[in-house]
Amino acid sequence: MIPLEYFIGLSAILFVIGVIGVLVKRNAIVVLMSIELMLNAANINFVAFSAFTANLNGAVFALISIAIAAAEVAVGLAIVMNLYKTRDTISLDQINLLRW
Amino acid sequence: MTFAEYAWLIPIFPLIAFVVIGFLGNRLFKKWEGGAPIAIGMAAISLILSLLVAIEALTGDGTPFIQSMDWLIVAGENFDFNFRIGIYIDTLAALMLIVVSIISTLVVIYSLGYMHEEGEKKRRYYAIISLFIGVMLGLVLASNFLQMFIFWELVGLCSYLLIGFWNTRPSAASAAKKAFLVTRIGDIMFMGGLFIFFVGFQGNLDFDYIFNNVEAFVGGNELLTLGTFLIFGGAIGKSAQFPLHDWLPDAMEGPTTVSALIHAATMVKAGVYLVARSYPIMVHTETTLMIVACIGGFTALFAATMALNNTNIKRVLAYSTVSQLGYMFLALGAGGYIYTQTLEPNIGYTAGMFHLMNHAFFKALLFLSAGAVIHAVHTEDMRLMGGLSKKLKITSAVMLIGCISIAGIPPFSGFWSKDLILEAVYEGIEISPIFGVLYAMGLITAFLTAFYMFRLWFLTFTGEPRDSYAYDHAHEAPKSMWMPLAILAIFAFGSGFALLFGFESLIVPEGVFALPAKTALVVVEDMFTNPLTYASIVAALLGIGLAYLAYYKKTIDPAVFTATPARKAMSNVLDARYGFTRAYDWIGLTVVYGIAKVVSAIDRLIIDGFIDGVSSFLIKSGNFLRRGQTGYVQSYAAVVVAGVSLIAILLLLIGVVI
Repeated sequence: MIPLEYFIGLSAILFVIGVIGVLVKRNAIVVLMSIELMLNAANINFVAFSAFTANLNGAVFALISIAIAAAEVAVGLAIVMNLYKTRDTISLDQINLLRW
Repeated sequence: MTFAEYAWLIPIFPLIAFVVIGFLGNRLFKKWEGGAPIAIGMAAISLILSLLVAIEALTGDGTPFIQSMDWLIVAGENFDFNFRIGIYIDTLAALMLIVVSIISTLVVIYSLGYMHEEGEKKRRYYAIISLFIGVMLGLVLASNFLQMFIFWELVGLCSYLLIGFWNTRPSAASAAKKAFLVTRIGDIMFMGGLFIFFVGFQGNLDFDYIFNNVEAFVGGNELLTLGTFLIFGGAIGKSAQFPLHDWLPDAMEGPTTVSALIHAATMVKAGVYLVARSYPIMVHTETTLMIVACIGGFTALFAATMALNNTNIKRVLAYSTVSQLGYMFLALGAGGYIYTQTLEPNIGYTAGMFHLMNHAFFKALLFLSAGAVIHAVHTEDMRLMGGLSKKLKITSAVMLIGCISIAGIPPFSGFWSKDLILEAVYEGIEISPIFGVLYAMGLITAFLTAFYMFRLWFLTFTGEPRDSYAYDHAHEAPKSMWMPLAILAIFAFGSGFALLFGFESLIVPEGVFALPAKTALVVVEDMFTNPLTYASIVAALLGIGLAYLAYYKKTIDPAVFTATPARKAMSNVLDARYGFTRAYDWIGLTVVYGIAKVVSAIDRLIIDGFIDGVSSFLIKSGNFLRRGQTGYVQSYAAVVVAGVSLIAILLLLIGVVI
């Protein structure tokens, strides 16, 4: 059996990749994808702990999380679409209307 | 007591007239002389009621009639008090009721002719004059100091409104302001006196309580002296005594009827009434009474000198009012002071109130006759009059009666009271030499009064007309004007005879002392066996004689009075009113305005500066902090990540087990 630490390490690496993607990428769609990476890192944790402790709660939670992620992506992509229609760009460093 | 129970209605009727005329629209009264019939009717009703109440009080046994109800009740743990509102009628109030209501009724009737050409403004005039009469009657009837103070302020307000009646004239507007502000200084002193009484008498300001319990005053005689002095300060302002006298000559900017009302019945008489009303307290504070006497005596002489060379017919009368009011205060103060020293009844108080009554009648007569002259020639400048007795027969005759009366020739009314005053002051010479000086001042004033009043009469009514246009257009006053004049002339001639019918024993300070009743024969005998009487008659005759020679016979050229540089300089000083007008302006503009500027600077620079500093600091720091709002979503996210990481690291460092 693969030890738990490996799962946690994978999940941590994925999460950090996601965070860096969110912080440094300019393209809004790439940012959305990075958010998915972070969610999946969390899901891996859920499932790994679920298997490790022989408790199904974590696996069920991961399923719910995937469903919510799908909905979130739908909303996020719709926002990006409208953004593109009105501002002709999806580059986040050009979208700074709400500032001082 | 039957009529006295309805005395509270006396001020109500003119107030009803005020409300009806003032608020029921121009349209209703356009054809009705601006509501004059209502004003006259209501004044007449309160005149009848006043007379009934007054006669009842004067023929009664002398105990005051008091009726009051609770108005403001304050119940505290250590200090509770109760303001009442009510009426207090003694012989003094009865006397004032008679004087005020007779004169104000006659003045309103006279206004019918005098104000006829004022058009739409008449409604305002009649409304305010009704209010004026109502509040003055209310002041007379007041049963405690607070109630009196309320009416006192209302009287001041009405005089402001009426002096500034022709409010489009800048001079009238500023005269009204001056009257209001200068009397306000006195009002503040009155209020200060009330505070002292309120504390000293532990919250009870009723006349009835105070007069019978002066020894219950908490705070010692010094505080009581200060209190009575401040009360007298109110009278100084209202009655135009030195040094607050200068508003009264300026108040001549109002209609002549208003001047007559202010000078004879209301406003300035309120000050004398206040001092007479407070007499039972005043006799416990001899210092205040001495001040009253000195200010009165000095003002009498001081104001008389300014009347000597004035050419405005109304201003001469105004100065004579100030001077005669000085006489009244002189009598009140001197009589009271002598009483505190000898504890024997004397005539001072009676003489002062007697002069108040006589002065009311002859001064109303003089002002209304002057009004008839002004109505006829449309000028107030005596240099443009002359020879008017041919055209204004009635007016010149009644005005002559008024002049003789104020000059003090027996048996006209002014003689009796002026003589009593001088006699009362003379009595004090044994006590203090100051009274010798005051007596001399009074005697000189009698001479000056006779001189300037007859100068006025000769200049106006005799000699050649100096302005033919004015003379040709002059006409006798209408009936509504000369009828009141005739009635007043009878009073001005005859009111002095009241002394023969027991005035002396009737008008005495309530609860202080009483004077024995004398028969008419004794009064006359006392008066004409006293050498002092002849001194004052001679002084008056000398004054009349000098005026006769200078302004009628012309054997003394009036130019003599300004012939040498010194005399010319004196005349200029009198014209400048001893510089008091400039002094008031200087005080107002330099001192008060200067203080105001300093206060304003403190307010703007220090207080406002502090508040502004706080707000500008907050605005600046806000401006600095808002730079953090870049608008870039990713920078916000970076902050969130950094924050969460920081918390996670901290939790790990302090070893919290999650």
